[in-house]
Amino acid sequence: MLRSQRIEALYALLFLAPFLIHLGVFFVFAFVRTLGFSFTDKTLIGQSYQIVGFANFIQLFQDPRFIAALTHSISFMLIVTTLQTFLALSMAAILNQRLRGITFFRTVYYIPSVLSSAAVTVIAIWFFQKTGFLNTFIGWIGSVAPVLLTFVAIFVLAQAVQVAWERIRGLPVALTDPALATISLAVGLALTWLLAALGVVVPREAQPPEFTWLTNSDRFLGVPIPLWSIIMLNTFTTIPTLMLIFLAGLQDIPKSIYEAAAIDGASPLQQFFSVTVPMLRPVTFLVITLSLIGTLQMFDQVALMGDAAPLDSIIVLAYYVYNNVFSGEGRVGLASAAAIILAALTFAIVLLQRALGISEKAH
Amino acid sequence: MKRWWVAGLALAALSMASAQTVVRLQGFGGNDTAIISSLVREVVNPALQKDNIRAEYQGVEGDYRAALLNALSAGTAADLFYVDIFWSEPLFASGRVEPLNRYFTQQELSVFNRNLLNAFTLRGNVYGLPKDFNTLAVQFNKDLFDEAKVPYPNQTDTWDTFKDKLKRVQAALKDVAGLCVVADHARFGAFAYATGWRPFNAQGRTVLDANFRRAFEWYTSLVKDGAGKYAQDLGEGWTGGCFGAERAAVAIEGAWIGGFLRDKAPNMRYGTTLIPLDPVTKQRGNFIFTVSWSMNAASRNKEAAAKVLRALTSPEAQNWILSRGLALPSRSALANSPIFQRPGKENELNRVVFQGSTSVGGAVLPFKFGSLDGGEWMRPINEALLAVITGKKSVDQALADAQAELNRLVR
Repeated sequence: MLRSQRIEALYALLFLAPFLIHLGVFFVFAFVRTLGFSFTDKTLIGQSYQIVGFANFIQLFQDPRFIAALTHSISFMLIVTTLQTFLALSMAAILNQRLRGITFFRTVYYIPSVLSSAAVTVIAIWFFQKTGFLNTFIGWIGSVAPVLLTFVAIFVLAQAVQVAWERIRGLPVALTDPALATISLAVGLALTWLLAALGVVVPREAQPPEFTWLTNSDRFLGVPIPLWSIIMLNTFTTIPTLMLIFLAGLQDIPKSIYEAAAIDGASPLQQFFSVTVPMLRPVTFLVITLSLIGTLQMFDQVALMGDAAPLDSIIVLAYYVYNNVFSGEGRVGLASAAAIILAALTFAIVLLQRALGISEKAH
Repeated sequence: MKRWWVAGLALAALSMASAQTVVRLQGFGGNDTAIISSLVREVVNPALQKDNIRAEYQGVEGDYRAALLNALSAGTAADLFYVDIFWSEPLFASGRVEPLNRYFTQQELSVFNRNLLNAFTLRGNVYGLPKDFNTLAVQFNKDLFDEAKVPYPNQTDTWDTFKDKLKRVQAALKDVAGLCVVADHARFGAFAYATGWRPFNAQGRTVLDANFRRAFEWYTSLVKDGAGKYAQDLGEGWTGGCFGAERAAVAIEGAWIGGFLRDKAPNMRYGTTLIPLDPVTKQRGNFIFTVSWSMNAASRNKEAAAKVLRALTSPEAQNWILSRGLALPSRSALANSPIFQRPGKENELNRVVFQGSTSVGGAVLPFKFGSLDGGEWMRPINEALLAVITGKKSVDQALADAQAELNRLVR
């Protein structure tokens, strides 16, 4: 190696040193220690320990709580990743429009990701209570349903009449014509108001559902209801960040491709599926990878839920690890084995996604 | 020359300061940080000045147990620290806590309430001196009872008369619950103890027998029968929260509720009475909640720490705490303190909570679960309570599930 090359390598190392030291101390060292502990019966407060081979791993798979944590983690990962990727992309596509005041909406939709996860979880405990906001809101919607349905019916009817009239006159108007929709909206509002004032259509008495979100041991699609609450919560708080990544990706797609597609007669939907989605592949790969890792390692929302929901219905792998270290004598060996399984699972799923899923190159 | 003098003096002052032994104390954050720091400043440190010892308190905010276990494991724990009775035994058995028998004579130890000292004794060794303690009592809002025209709860109440009063209050005042019911063994267990049920039988196993079932059915029926509402449905996590917000007429808490009510509802007229009696056994049950001051086995200042420990639990220190209405003293002699006899709602609260630990309290057991982690042991029972209160399971199903889980846990 030339002297100049050696000096260059030295400088590179020097600049990389802070990162390498950080990586070494907090990741490599911690990982190696965890791997070592996973083969021992070490406890947090015990003063000596012995090597027990694979006993911890065998014990884990005999523990129903670990199996529950594992299935919860995997279902959580699959559902949240699908939901948030789909919703983030849809939202990014909407916010990528050139509309007046779009910056305001971009800011508003980004707010959930700025909020502290702890604060959101504490609010969510109140939100999901039996007499909390969500059930009250559902009750309110139910109570004003007659009025809302009347409005929708009048609106649809008005629109249909106008479109039919225009078509009879030989004008090829679409069903969703905005000018006619404005008139239908005014007609709908006025007639609904009139019917409500005459007492023909009146809101019913609000009957909030007796549904419990957090203390419910029932399952929906095989996933406990309290975990669905956390799924909603987590999706709500993570969409904005992913949306921002998609938005950056969308703005990178050359406008000329859309223009070419439009000239070829592609509809907006065709443009979305044939231009936007393929061009966004590298970004989608990044988003899904981040999402998979984030969801598998979700911890804070379960920890902060505390006693508000039964543990067995919300426990996930990361919380299982924590719970084992900080209860009783602190089963470090067992928790390390669970942490290794979590790490292996994360690695395997990301590799699988890379092998089977979306490639890193745009088409 | 003058400069040399100044430097010399500064050096001397520095060496004097360094000769002073600093004993670090660790405990809960929140209110405890202010209270114990004041106690240390006003009572403990002046008493230890002659020995050139200085105590410093560090409150841990958040999960105290996790912080302590971590610190003990890493060798950075303080010289003296709180150990909650609730998870004390696994910690004492680990060898990380210094037995105190070497530092205190039998006579010095005998001044503490026997029940409390026993709670921190393992295999004949005393691993902690009780800092203070609490039991459960019934607090009732006098105005709400007056408004509903229902007589106040009193110490002759049985579960049935107590429940009847709660039902009448709830029926008369539409927006107020009798009691806000929590799915927690820390409240329910006191009623189970009254029936004669014990957490562990002679074989060391937990059996949810007929006595347990009787208490369980009564407690979970409070919501169904209109005597109470489930706490979380009222947006609260503890009975004191509902009581302070006047959403419930009764709370079942310890003396800690006093400080909370002082801030939350300073003008509330409330009274305190003992936990109601089981109508079958004519007994009441109760818990002793307590925290010890324990010594780090790896401390480098054990002798100094023992002196600080003596000062922290001295009659002066406990009187200081008691006179401010902050906690109940663990020294038996202070049971006769005139402070308890003073009139006023907070003194009544302290008096009744103190009585809860005596024979009047009935079956009073420390809030501890042997070598098991209290949280893990209670979870099946708490989840059974929750399932029945929220109507998710029948009593039979909930108890069968809890028993199966306890059998797995307590082998």
